[in-house]
Amino acid sequence: MSETYAVELKNVVKQFGEVVAVNGISLRIRDGEFFSLLGPSGCGKTTTLRLIAGFEMPTSGSVRIYGEEQGYLPPYQRPVNTVFQNYALFPHMTVAQNVAFGLEMRKVPKDEIKRRVAEALALVRLTGKENRRPKQLSGGQKQRVALARALVNRPKVLLLDEPLGALDLKLRKAMQSELKALQEQVGITFIYVTHDQEEALVMSDRIAVMNEGNVLQVGTPEEIYEHPQSRFVADFIGKTNFISGKVAVISGDRVDFRLPDGTMVAATLPEGAQVSAGDMATLSIRPEKIFVTPEGEQPLVGDAEALSQVSGRLVKIFYVGVERRYIVALADDTEVEVRVQNLDRRSRRCQPGDRVTLHWRRAHARLLKE
Amino acid sequence: MSEQALSRALSRRSQLARLKKQVSDLLFHAYGFWGYLFLYFPIIILVVFSFNDSRSTAQWAGFTTHWYADMLKDHQIILSLWNSLFVAIVSTTVSVIIGTLAALAMERYRFWGKLMMDAVLYLPIIIPDIAMAIMLLIFFDISGIGFEPWKVNFFGAHLAVPYSVIIGHVAFNISFVAVVVRARLAQMDQVLEEAAQDLYADPWRTFWRVTFPMLLPGILGGALLAFTLSMDDFVITFFTSGAGFNTLPVRVFGMIKKGVTPKINAVSTLMLLFSLMLVAISLILSRGGEKGDSSGNPMF
Repeated sequence: MSETYAVELKNVVKQFGEVVAVNGISLRIRDGEFFSLLGPSGCGKTTTLRLIAGFEMPTSGSVRIYGEEQGYLPPYQRPVNTVFQNYALFPHMTVAQNVAFGLEMRKVPKDEIKRRVAEALALVRLTGKENRRPKQLSGGQKQRVALARALVNRPKVLLLDEPLGALDLKLRKAMQSELKALQEQVGITFIYVTHDQEEALVMSDRIAVMNEGNVLQVGTPEEIYEHPQSRFVADFIGKTNFISGKVAVISGDRVDFRLPDGTMVAATLPEGAQVSAGDMATLSIRPEKIFVTPEGEQPLVGDAEALSQVSGRLVKIFYVGVERRYIVALADDTEVEVRVQNLDRRSRRCQPGDRVTLHWRRAHARLLKE
Repeated sequence: MSEQALSRALSRRSQLARLKKQVSDLLFHAYGFWGYLFLYFPIIILVVFSFNDSRSTAQWAGFTTHWYADMLKDHQIILSLWNSLFVAIVSTTVSVIIGTLAALAMERYRFWGKLMMDAVLYLPIIIPDIAMAIMLLIFFDISGIGFEPWKVNFFGAHLAVPYSVIIGHVAFNISFVAVVVRARLAQMDQVLEEAAQDLYADPWRTFWRVTFPMLLPGILGGALLAFTLSMDDFVITFFTSGAGFNTLPVRVFGMIKKGVTPKINAVSTLMLLFSLMLVAISLILSRGGEKGDSSGNPMF
């Protein structure tokens, strides 16, 4: 028996005139999952969300919610609710009236509405604010009213369109953990649109990285961060270094890679990558996965012998409290950033202008086709 | 020493600047005063002479309210006042409905010929009243609609109001209502309607629960504007009424032909008061509308 997904998109295309906003994407979002659509603005993530909500109709393809084809159902007949980017609270209604709106539309009995509104407001810690108007609330409070207004309907899927975008940084951090805790508490599938990669990493069970109307990679935050399958994903999620060179030998998932100055290093081939010996390619290495030592020395790790080594010249050091950032120029002037926690003594002896050696494990250098 | 000289120089400079500001403020206020005087002096004269105890409207001969009493006893004036009110109420009601729908169509939907409708809708605002009046006159004449009266008992007053007058007033009022309502609609965030639909409201309920309440200040503002314009209109009424039908402005015009008496001043003063009252109400309403966005509207 095939699994029933909370939301299943199959080859969904959405065109606005000549512009292709969503370019044939397929996604399977599981029941109870906190699923993020992550990408830069204009990547089609909001359009995807609006296709699920029913504000847009697909040009082609299918949208299923818990197995049921949504086809051309209007938004008011779909078992989903949305938290809008700027909350979209009704300004002419009180907080309680806003929250009660969906239940009233579904003709829920009055006393049940009253009870559920009180519950929903308690859930988002807004008890006592029932008779306020949206304009009398702070940004965080409006955000919570918007959440309560959606959750009170017990939707099968909650859609959130950059709901924290309008909040300041500190409040956003607080709301992130609150939202995640809330999702675990109510157990509803959340589909969360954001362009903030850190937010997506912190909150999501799984992330779909989107660009130019396509889904590039779907995976857990760890998979996405540690095993990016494309240059775009590696670059968009976190900070990474790209080092160009040539593929020398491939054996299994091991690649021997020649840098422009002739240095040979080892790298890992991502699953399904189509690369053959002799191709130009790029290595992606996260800055915190690289060790830096004075030239010729070994880092203080057990497997130091097995590490790939590249020499370079230390250009600059940035001190940022928790860590130091070393900018190292390789032979061909490619700049590589290395982040070292302020514990490591060996790297601390390096000064700008010194010759240094960079070391990394094969697993951390991922080969991406040029 | 030099420091003292410097501070003295500075204080002289600031004194000079203050003097300059005082002079410019004075000039500015004087300019404003003369501007207002120019605009309102005739009105003051009009009001003052409505209390003049003489048939003359030029020479002051003591205070009286007898022109007002005289006016109230004049059946022709009272009848024309009822006519005006009836025409204003009916034409406002009809044009508010049509104008609001037109505004919604223009702001929310795409359709064939929209650009042309956009231009045509606002035509009555732009073209001279007299052109519109003559157009309507010709239209009623050749279309065969004519100047048939609508016989109606309006709060005890037996009126015979030509349909043509009402249609004429509706024709220009639609534009004004549509302009005001559309401005309000343009300000309104469409995502609110999406939010309502997301919360299971079909388009009908979305309109009545979200769109309409948020539009209401605009609709009321448009209605008051239409009502005022209708009450004040002379040209279009005059041309579309056929023979023997008077609204208040038309009646006043007829009285002037027989010579200006303070009774006309009294009628005009009353119309002025009425208009001011409507403007005040519309201001209060529109302020209420803004409050509806900020901290709640006592109207709803």
